[in-house]
Amino acid sequence: MGSSHLRPWTAMAIRARLGFVILLSLFFSATLSTALYEDQVGLADWHHKYIGKVKHAVFHTQKTGRKRVVVSTEENVVASLDLRTGFIFWRNVLGKNDHIDQVDIALGKYVVTLSSGGSILRAWNLPDGQMIWESTLPVSTLSKSSLYVLANMNVGKDNLILVFGGSSIHALSSMDGQIVWRKELSIDSLEIQQIFQPHDSDIINAVGFVGSSEFVVYQISYRTGEVMQQSKASFESGFCGEASLVFDNLVVALDASKSSLVSISFKNEVINFHQINLSDLVPDFSGKVTLLPLKFNGMLAIEIASSILLLRVKGANELEFVEKISHPFAFSDALPLSKEQQAFAILQHDESKIHFKVKSDNDLRNEILKETIQMDSQRGNIEKVFINNYIRTDRTHGFRFLVVMEDHSLLLIQQGEIVWSREDGLASIVDSTTSELPVEKEGVSVAEVEHNLFEWLKGHLLKLKGTLMLASPDEVAAIQAIRLKSSEKNKMTRDHNGFRKLIIVLTRAGKVLALHTGDGRVVWSVLLPALRRSETCGNPFALRVYQWQVPHHHAMHENPSVLVVGRCGHGFDAPGIFSIVDSYTGKVQNSLILEHSVSHIMPLPLTDSTEQRLHLIIDAKLQAHLYPKNSDSLKHFFNEMPNIYWYSVEVEKNKIKGYSLESKAELDTAEEYVFQAKELWSIIFPSESEKIAVTATRKMNEIVHTQAKVVADQDVMYKYVSKNILFVATVAPKAAGEIGSATPEEALLYAYLIDTVSGRILHRVCHQGAQGPVHAVVSENWVVYHYFNLRAHRYEMSVIEIYDQSRADNKDVWKLVLGKHNLTAPVSLYSRPDVMVKSQSYFFTHSVKSMAVTATAKGITSKQLLIGTIGDQVLALDKRFLDPRRSVNPTQSEKEEGIIPLTDSLPIVPQSYITHSLQVEGLRSMVTIPAKLESTTLVFSYGVDLFFTRIAPSRTYDSLTEDFSYALLLITIVVLVAAIFVTWALSEKKELKEKWR
Amino acid sequence: MVWSNLGQDSFRFDSTGLGLVVRAIERERGVFGTRIDREGTRRVVAQHLLIRPRTAVKRSAASLIVVVSSMKLALLLFLVLVSNFLPSSLAAPSSSGDGYAITGRVKVEGMTSKGFGASSKLLNAKIILNGGQNVTFVRADGYFTFHNVPAGTHLIEVAALGYFFSPVRVDISARFPGKIQAALTENRKALHELILEPLREEQYYEIREPFSIMSFLKSPMGLMMGFMLSVIFVMPKLVENMDPEEIRRAQEEMRTNFLPRSS
Repeated sequence: MGSSHLRPWTAMAIRARLGFVILLSLFFSATLSTALYEDQVGLADWHHKYIGKVKHAVFHTQKTGRKRVVVSTEENVVASLDLRTGFIFWRNVLGKNDHIDQVDIALGKYVVTLSSGGSILRAWNLPDGQMIWESTLPVSTLSKSSLYVLANMNVGKDNLILVFGGSSIHALSSMDGQIVWRKELSIDSLEIQQIFQPHDSDIINAVGFVGSSEFVVYQISYRTGEVMQQSKASFESGFCGEASLVFDNLVVALDASKSSLVSISFKNEVINFHQINLSDLVPDFSGKVTLLPLKFNGMLAIEIASSILLLRVKGANELEFVEKISHPFAFSDALPLSKEQQAFAILQHDESKIHFKVKSDNDLRNEILKETIQMDSQRGNIEKVFINNYIRTDRTHGFRFLVVMEDHSLLLIQQGEIVWSREDGLASIVDSTTSELPVEKEGVSVAEVEHNLFEWLKGHLLKLKGTLMLASPDEVAAIQAIRLKSSEKNKMTRDHNGFRKLIIVLTRAGKVLALHTGDGRVVWSVLLPALRRSETCGNPFALRVYQWQVPHHHAMHENPSVLVVGRCGHGFDAPGIFSIVDSYTGKVQNSLILEHSVSHIMPLPLTDSTEQRLHLIIDAKLQAHLYPKNSDSLKHFFNEMPNIYWYSVEVEKNKIKGYSLESKAELDTAEEYVFQAKELWSIIFPSESEKIAVTATRKMNEIVHTQAKVVADQDVMYKYVSKNILFVATVAPKAAGEIGSATPEEALLYAYLIDTVSGRILHRVCHQGAQGPVHAVVSENWVVYHYFNLRAHRYEMSVIEIYDQSRADNKDVWKLVLGKHNLTAPVSLYSRPDVMVKSQSYFFTHSVKSMAVTATAKGITSKQLLIGTIGDQVLALDKRFLDPRRSVNPTQSEKEEGIIPLTDSLPIVPQSYITHSLQVEGLRSMVTIPAKLESTTLVFSYGVDLFFTRIAPSRTYDSLTEDFSYALLLITIVVLVAAIFVTWALSEKKELKEKWR
Repeated sequence: MVWSNLGQDSFRFDSTGLGLVVRAIERERGVFGTRIDREGTRRVVAQHLLIRPRTAVKRSAASLIVVVSSMKLALLLFLVLVSNFLPSSLAAPSSSGDGYAITGRVKVEGMTSKGFGASSKLLNAKIILNGGQNVTFVRADGYFTFHNVPAGTHLIEVAALGYFFSPVRVDISARFPGKIQAALTENRKALHELILEPLREEQYYEIREPFSIMSFLKSPMGLMMGFMLSVIFVMPKLVENMDPEEIRRAQEEMRTNFLPRSS
């Protein structure tokens, strides 16, 4: 009886539970990927396109409608830019070793690029960048190759493109890239210097040097490549190889001692040499001369003792001094204005001003154009200039200048104004870090953020319409605009979720820029003076950027700052450069050239009393230098010194060494901050069978939330969580090259897990028939690495998870209570850690450029691997796919735990590309930054392009999504309230009826 | 299947033992037999060195180099080979020095062989050899070529936004220069010609479902409303159907359940 009474209640309870389950399952049944709707593009992500530092530029102004300039850059990009706005019409990023040597336009419709040391010639369609043809030339790599596109012989006829280098000339048809003729000038050690075509002739002239003392002139038939005429003469004091073509029949060269000029005139097989005495021109001349490339008829530029002389060549032995220019400066190439007249530009830097001068060969003493503009000092000196002209309405010539600056930025200057500028230094980011924005001060921005309620509701009603697919196209556009405009994400203050930050990047040019995560705009930029070429430091280059001071508790009034480390020159023993930059303003706080070199930089997890992070710099002599140099940091450091261990990987020597620190016995004040490394262990890999391919460690700041993993049937496994795990992959030396170079039999890949404190190898596994390139990522207690399997001829990804067995017995609470646990058992360095390793391998379709793992604030959220594929996309792959406990038929309890049935290859779901339909061209690295919101990771990926987005590996379980409809919530509440009143009225009525009955 | 045999079988020629040679030839036929018979092009090339002019390299050409020491063997080999047709392979030794040229074609549905407009999606398709060793681009007609590729087993990948291409394994035989075989690595499908077609189109965005009552009801709000409504309207019905006495008893029972048992 009793049970039947309770039936309705239990039924209700069951229903409620069911409803709850449905609700829950709806929340969590989401697919493994975090997919995006098309209208959400640009809400949380931004994508900026760059091209890199421009090396060559060719203007194209044939069609007046679309003015464009074709450029090639140091990032191997060939691109077509809009001359009016600087936008990219199209661009093609070549392979990483396919450096562009030269670019030109042929036939007025093809862009021709010579790349890979002059061995590949490609033609691209000028309007859209489609490749038209490609030709490979057998060129010796020793000599530099050049491109020469012949001027229009006859309109409509196929023009030839000449590629010359060393002693060979190739003539290719510009229509289809076929080699029309090839001439091997059969003289040893011939270096062709120039090829040119005298006006309206069928003959091409080639001039060059044989050895160091002979000068040769060839006259070659344009149509067949036949040598029509050949003449040579030798000059007793020899040439150094530098030469400049001044006229069609006159070359000026430097002699072997580089101290005097020789003019070489040639006409009808007669070659005459004239030594030119420079002391006539320069009274107090001494030292060496450098010939500067100036492709201008009748002009010569020489550099003597850091000043530049412009000389006019009047005859074979007559030079006239025109102008003296001092550094820094830039010349443009010659620009033909008309058939007889040509012009060129000289740009000169004078502190913050740039003087533009355009000279024509009619009147070299005076200028056609003289302009001065103010230049932002953070762009550095001028490096290159390209000149282009246009006809003004009054039929005079106007000029525009395409200027490349020291920070790799590109500017277009016209009529004394900067028309547009591109921050192309961002294409070559070296390193990056992040900084928090300032805290919002109370009472500052409340008023401007608040909308009125009506506007707010209207916006949300629109959104609701959008989600219910009832909106008209106009309304959809309005929604998009509201979303993108939302000032919220671009504010310059810290937000509650930690989405707004500054990304501080260091570029190859030595410039530090702060990008706002909201839209990627440059907040500030500074060209570090310490990383600029100077007399004390001839060849500086940027290494890394670290967080230097993060005010947290103690120094709240101070701005955070970053530390930029560089090196003076490319050798490991070159002195280091140190620069500290304010993260909010970009002001350089401190800058110095170190007395020692920089080979490793170790940010320590210690700060001094002003919250400056302690850094140890290891120099080439294995001495550790502590920074910042103050007694306070020393005090903190001494407390932790016995616990500091570090290791070095010497790839060339196939060695990994572990060190600890010891203070120097004699403590004089100067050496107080210098410590000696003490070698603890070393692992030497046999060089005949192994070669270090890659090493990887956990991120310093990674947070692990749980050390234990509850597996099926209520069992617990303890993760071997150690910050000191180093993953090393070695490959067989025979298979160290590219994929096609080894057979499966000779390829071997070893994966090691090494404890960097004790030097103990925790685990070693061998993959037969596998080879590099290896990419690896280490996180928590696992390693995932990507390599090539030669037997299957596919890429593979392996996972190794490492568990601590010694703690496996500690599961019993009673043991802990009764003190029978082994937690107090002595731990020894020499005892073998009791670890258990699980691993599994899967096929993966694509080549990988870079790998990373998501990082969240507390480490609770499950992880995703970020894979930068060869197609420059970033794929987010759930770590659950790389779980070594996957099996073909998981048991029921395993299924509940979320184990996915085993498949031989990893799935590629297109919706899980976090770059969606974009490509991060030239992708090099991905950086993950935890947001304050536990579910969310910020991802910044860079290469030639920049891409930023935020992802939630387990969906945003801790916040409402962007498209959450407040209007719907309001409506629901209103409906419910109304329903309550209605039902209340109904029940009142009913009750009344009941009572009347 | 075929792949594993290729690299390992050693071809030994003995100037005296003719039987061995024939066996070797048979084995060669066995390896390629199935493909050879299917191919229509009857092109046989057996000469000591084959150098094709550049223009001929473009498409596919068959070639086989057999270097033998004895004339007799060469003749025999030639006779055997004449009865054999070689498939139109995918590459030919290029005239320019070391290595071979691999020529292939990327074909996407709706893209005509010469059409410019339809191929706009493939405009910046990159072809990548061996994970980035060489990168080339697709021409307007879909063709691409890698020059100076040494003999060995290579991997070709196509990076084209919006399409999923399987990487292609390409074997260039060292023993039969110019002999090239290709297969998709994803599904091990052998390719007779190096025509690369996407396995599928990729849709990078979730598609918004059009508004429907069901999707609204399935949303958390809809569920909340549905649940509340059911509580409001169904619950009274349930209670109504019960005996008033039973309700009272149930309520009493509840009360006693909550009271401490000590009394």
